[in-house]
Amino acid sequence: METSFALTGKGYVIVASDTTAARSIVKMKTDEDKIKVVSPHLLMSYSGEPGDTIQFAEYVERNLRLFHIRNNYSLRPSAAASWIRRSLAQSLRSRKPYSVNLMLGGYDVTIDSPHLYWIDYLGTMTEVPFGAHGYGSYFALSLLDRYVLSYISSKANTHFFLFTYRYHDPEATLQEGLATLKRCIDEVAKRLVVSPGKYKVKVVDKDGAREIEL
Amino acid sequence: MSRRYDSRTTIFSPEGRLYQIEYAMEAISHAGTVLGVLAKDGVVLAAEKKVTGKLLDLSGAKEGGYGGSGEKIFLLNSNVIGGVAGLTADANSLINYARSAAQQHLLQYNEDIPVELLAQRLCDMKQGYTQYGGLRPFGVSLLYAGYDQQHQFQLYHSDPSGNYSGWKATCIGANNGTAQSLLKQEYKDDIEVKAAISLVLKTMSKTMDSTTLGSEKLEFAVITLDPETNLPKAKIYKPDEIDELLQAEGLSKKEDDNAMKS
Amino acid sequence: MSIMEYNGGSVIAMVGKDCVAIASDLRLGNQALGISSNFQKIFPVTDRIYLGLPGLATDVTTLRETFRYRVNMYTIKEEREIEPETFAHLVSSTLYERRFGPYFIEPVMAGLSRSATGGFKPFIAATDLIGCLNFAKDFVVAGTASSKLYGVAEGLWEPNLEAEQLFETISQTMLNAVDRDAYSGWGVVVHVIEKDKVTTRTLKGRMD
Repeated sequence: METSFALTGKGYVIVASDTTAARSIVKMKTDEDKIKVVSPHLLMSYSGEPGDTIQFAEYVERNLRLFHIRNNYSLRPSAAASWIRRSLAQSLRSRKPYSVNLMLGGYDVTIDSPHLYWIDYLGTMTEVPFGAHGYGSYFALSLLDRYVLSYISSKANTHFFLFTYRYHDPEATLQEGLATLKRCIDEVAKRLVVSPGKYKVKVVDKDGAREIEL
Repeated sequence: MSRRYDSRTTIFSPEGRLYQIEYAMEAISHAGTVLGVLAKDGVVLAAEKKVTGKLLDLSGAKEGGYGGSGEKIFLLNSNVIGGVAGLTADANSLINYARSAAQQHLLQYNEDIPVELLAQRLCDMKQGYTQYGGLRPFGVSLLYAGYDQQHQFQLYHSDPSGNYSGWKATCIGANNGTAQSLLKQEYKDDIEVKAAISLVLKTMSKTMDSTTLGSEKLEFAVITLDPETNLPKAKIYKPDEIDELLQAEGLSKKEDDNAMKS
Repeated sequence: MSIMEYNGGSVIAMVGKDCVAIASDLRLGNQALGISSNFQKIFPVTDRIYLGLPGLATDVTTLRETFRYRVNMYTIKEEREIEPETFAHLVSSTLYERRFGPYFIEPVMAGLSRSATGGFKPFIAATDLIGCLNFAKDFVVAGTASSKLYGVAEGLWEPNLEAEQLFETISQTMLNAVDRDAYSGWGVVVHVIEKDKVTTRTLKGRMD
């Protein structure tokens, strides 16, 4: 089943997506690239209804490109995300809505910081340190913020102590980030009945976007 | 003879000129002066008011609104101040347009409109009136003083033809030639806001018709970065703040009077 | 499954003595799956009005942007800040515009309105998803934990609470109500609005 993850680290965002193109129960293709580089410092992974995904991704890509040509600069990740969200929110209340879920990872060169946005087909958007879509999200998200709740009872009062052991570290280096991503992929491979085989991984940082071999 | 090509904005004369546009620019060169100076850490704007008199009701300028008296200097968006020279009625309609354009950009992208983009939006509209039939062009030149993350502080000028250009220091309206040559002499590339304020006021005092500067003849605004939030902070001075500033710069009426007495 | 409960989230507003408070949780979910623990549902409208938008998250963002646009245009045209009563009617008419295809949001607003004598009067209001206004004198609630919020607020709230007491009351109400609701929680944000300042505090909550 379709799965995409993304996580931020120190000065970068990693976006990963499986590479299967399925129709019903049949895998039609196992090397589909479902992460588009929509502008020099912006990555977008897309999943959902086949057809809608590619249509919408190209619509976004070309509109951002048009903005760049007209104004001689690219939209910042936050502005691009707002525009994309609005497109989906408007589409939701149209006759035929796009059914596309996105992870949008970008590097804002004006303030030197990475940003990651979780966006779904309804036009729900939130900035997150890490996120995921698809069935893999159930395993990946819980792995990324696994915590231990210890419950201590003293004489008069009951206290809750919250210890958070996150596998995700927003200050991690790229190597550490990729190792964390590998853990997510392994977890999904281990537990999900219909786990995808291969993943494509892309990174965006101050030098722009590029693909990485795991 | 020339009448044949004058009455329509969209028709070239045999010499290849658009007379109505040139007349519009002529109208502006009689309007009150507006002067802008771009500094390293901000932009300064000043304007000469034409509609004055003791019967004029300025109570609105003292309290409400964004400051200023609302004749020449306006807040176009939280990051851009506009200064206008020309027909006030035309200017008001352009300001309305600019404010809506800025708000629509905010709605669409969740960020303040870049200064150049705002200038472009207005120029697209102004240019339309030089080409599509039947109507008169806007008799307004504008100065845009603003800030955005892409290009930091900027100063733009746009004219009735729909042309626009970026400047380090410029002037529109009456006596703009004199002011510009003064600015050319005095401007330094690494000027800071404090010095830019002095430069603007000094140049204004030399180019304005009246001998003394005062809040009844002057509008003044500065855009800087708020050191705490790091966001642009536009300040349009209220009349008493202008008098205070002139006093501090030694350009006010009272100082002159005292100098005469002593 | 109700669309109003798809993302989860709750908001409450309370009246105090010369002050008002508004609080919300910070969770954004997809039904039972948590997505974000920092999803703001309360937005400043002016220096003295705050607006809470619990409901479908896509509409939270859309309406937030719409209201910012409309209030900015109002401010520009009127050259003054909007009053809470006026804003409440703006909210109501904006929602009623979509009477037969509504935004799935039940707004809650809190503010201080200027009285004729120049002082300030606490103001809270809420509407349903098509803009039916409800002006209350004590407190208003909305969102997935609204039924629980009613219970706790009914027990804790009393008239004429000072700002600090009001903060304590609204915080305890919120924290305890969202603990009984699976779709709200993951932290709470509280704004206390007084005539000369607004105090914003983020509270830690249970993360389960």
